[in-house]
Amino acid sequence: MKTDMNRWLKDLRENSVKKALPILSFPVIQLMNVTVKELISDSDMQANGMKLMSERIDSAAAVSLMDLSVEAEAFGSKICVSENEVPTVIGRIVESLEDAENLKIPAVGDARTGIYLDSMAKAVKLIHDRPIFAGIIGPYSLTGRLMDVSEAMIKCYEEPEIVHKTLAAVTEFLIEYARKYKEVGVNGIIIAEPTAGILSPDLIQEFSTDYVKKIIEAVQDESFIVIYHNCGNNTIQLIDSILDTNASAFHFGNAIDMAEMMKHIPVNKIAMGNVDPAGQFRNGTPESIREQTLKIMNSCSKYPNFVISSGCDIPPLAKWDNIDSFFKAIKEFYQQ
Amino acid sequence: MNILDDISEFLQQGKVPKVKELVQQALDEGIEPKAILEEGLLKGMGIIGGKFKNNEVFIPQVLIAARAMNAGVEIMKPVLISSGVKSKGVAVIGTVKGDLHDIGKNLVKLMIESKGITVIDLGIDVPPERFVEATIENNASIVCCSSLLTNNMMEMANVIKALEDNGIREKVKVMVGGAPVTQEFCDKIGADCYTVDASSAAEAALSFCA
Repeated sequence: MKTDMNRWLKDLRENSVKKALPILSFPVIQLMNVTVKELISDSDMQANGMKLMSERIDSAAAVSLMDLSVEAEAFGSKICVSENEVPTVIGRIVESLEDAENLKIPAVGDARTGIYLDSMAKAVKLIHDRPIFAGIIGPYSLTGRLMDVSEAMIKCYEEPEIVHKTLAAVTEFLIEYARKYKEVGVNGIIIAEPTAGILSPDLIQEFSTDYVKKIIEAVQDESFIVIYHNCGNNTIQLIDSILDTNASAFHFGNAIDMAEMMKHIPVNKIAMGNVDPAGQFRNGTPESIREQTLKIMNSCSKYPNFVISSGCDIPPLAKWDNIDSFFKAIKEFYQQ
Repeated sequence: MNILDDISEFLQQGKVPKVKELVQQALDEGIEPKAILEEGLLKGMGIIGGKFKNNEVFIPQVLIAARAMNAGVEIMKPVLISSGVKSKGVAVIGTVKGDLHDIGKNLVKLMIESKGITVIDLGIDVPPERFVEATIENNASIVCCSSLLTNNMMEMANVIKALEDNGIREKVKVMVGGAPVTQEFCDKIGADCYTVDASSAAEAALSFCA
């Protein structure tokens, strides 16, 4: 559904009562009685799951699976798939400059990227009451998965050429991948760049932001926006560079003080966060998540550009009692 | 500035070739290996650890400093052994069974090593019995368990049970950590120590070696 996304953002800022936008997708396995393994392999299941989720929760937008193994798998990485956990990338495929130079850029549609694109094409036909966002990985986070995260950090200092060669390849792929999402009719992407959140301020601009910008410049317009997600723990120190990506909205993790972060966000940019996905949605209680949600809303809602959300992707086995309590707490806040 | 200060300084900058060169020069000049280790290498790593705790440096800087420290220690290994310099203790570390994440675990390992403690790294996806075997084999006094996955955190309780079943629970301190781990969880499973970051983990480990 074609939507004026700048208008959507403006409404989100101006509405006194704002709907939440949690990164809530994988827990649908409990509603559908399927496994993560089944969900990540079936586009119909993913689209139907998003539809089911949109009927179950009153969110500002529908979001696809935040599966940060899809793109690395397309590049040739091995992944570990389990019944109830989000897939993980194993090992590394780029160790040397030669590996980086010979890195074959996959076609969009290779491996499971085809399933994920297909699921979005189907979801846009099923969901009409809110915008739909597809999830893709950020360039440095993908580079980290191809090189090994620790090696990718060390090589930023010791062999930056390898990192840049890999970044150039993955960015070329991610631009095409994002364009395909735009073509199938979703309203935007959430680009997850968590690995950049542990870089130092002198590294993030060169090894992440400059590449994220290229992706955003290639696809963002009035009908398709980019939400930048970073749940790293240094995002407040890195915020100037993060804002330089020129994403339309930002999403932060629970490792930071959201109220402190809001001081750094320009009024024309939405920032979302940051109820603890593991500690609250997965391992908390309805009472504890209510308390944390209200605490964040009380400290951040004075900023019209703040939108309550989870701090990251909500784990597949998060308790639905806690998810429901999160939404109830938001209602309670606005009824106060 | 003396050569030990230089070693510390170049280590903090992650300059592997300079650290190697200066460690060799210090040995050639007849400086005590213990002094090179403690006043050069470990001092530099300790400064980096403190700065990391205070958010003055970031993980990449810690990683390159640790790589420089390891390069220096490698040169010194033969002389450290022959001169009888002993480590302050032995810790076993691993990411628990079913979990393949290792950034946090690796960082804790580096920080604990920077305190002069030998760390046996069991890697990722480590079953409880492997923690037990490594503890016995290396006469370790500290067992460190890491997990990023909420579903696998309970494997830490299985590690503790395996240590109990093998009669060595009382001989070791069990430290737990990882993004979803909390003090409450640590208490619930009967672990001895939870810390919020790698620097605090290293300080706690050192206190257990005293």
